[in-house]
Amino acid sequence: MKELFPAKQVWGFVFSLILTVVALLVYFFNMSKATGMTIFILTAFIQAAVQLVVFMHARETDDSKSIFMTLYGAIFLALITVFGTILCMIWGWSY
Amino acid sequence: MEIDHSQPLEYSTEQNRLNILGFWIFLGAEIMLFATLFASYFTLVDRTGNGPTGAEIFEITPVLAETFLLLTSSFVIGLGIHAMRLGNKKAMLTFFIITLLLGLGFLGFEITEFITYYREGATLQTSGFTSMLFTTLGTHGAHVTLGLFWGLFIILQVKKRGLTPETANKSFIFSLYWHFLDIVWIFIFTFIYMKGMT
Repeated sequence: MKELFPAKQVWGFVFSLILTVVALLVYFFNMSKATGMTIFILTAFIQAAVQLVVFMHARETDDSKSIFMTLYGAIFLALITVFGTILCMIWGWSY
Repeated sequence: MEIDHSQPLEYSTEQNRLNILGFWIFLGAEIMLFATLFASYFTLVDRTGNGPTGAEIFEITPVLAETFLLLTSSFVIGLGIHAMRLGNKKAMLTFFIITLLLGLGFLGFEITEFITYYREGATLQTSGFTSMLFTTLGTHGAHVTLGLFWGLFIILQVKKRGLTPETANKSFIFSLYWHFLDIVWIFIFTFIYMKGMT
């Protein structure tokens, strides 16, 4: 039975649960908007990284470099799209 | 077809390796799809018109249930792939079936949640906020629904044909898809629900 539950993945799961609880703390305790947002960004991106490395085995193959280049490219474009849109539509630009 | 026995079964042929790399490139495109949805959601989140705001309709209990179900299912399918690498077909199929049941539970909660929103007067047409909320959640939910059928067919095929380089490859690719859906959910949970409720 024990061989079916590799320690790395069990800890990955426990760590994901902890990160979810940390994000929940922002909901249960009053925090400033900036503190809350910082915690959200940290917990979400760390949890995504845990999934990629621990569960999706992104680092374990010879294609690892190609996989990470694809991911970095996609994440870069995603961030530009999201923050570019918010900049144009919400924040605005005063000069 | 050359089979490299030093690699796990799902990587054992050149074709298998390329299939997996190709799927990662597809996931890159999926990241962009959800990025555009999030960009639109952040733009419209305060455009509530006469409809409710997120803080008014979001409820913590179903959201936590959905998060826990999907997070656990992502862990369990990881165990399934581990069992597959050990060559333990029975354990692998058991883990895959549990994964799909957890996914089904997630979908049940999400559908109930949508019905509750509808009863509270938040529909696709109520406001910019609700239309983008349903589009974003719905796109993720549609992916999970597709994943349930895909996973079911994978289970049937592994049951019928056993663990071969082909079926192992397909199972591994399905596991990548399922983990990816959990990643998207983490962002939905954090930046739509948690942010909307605080």
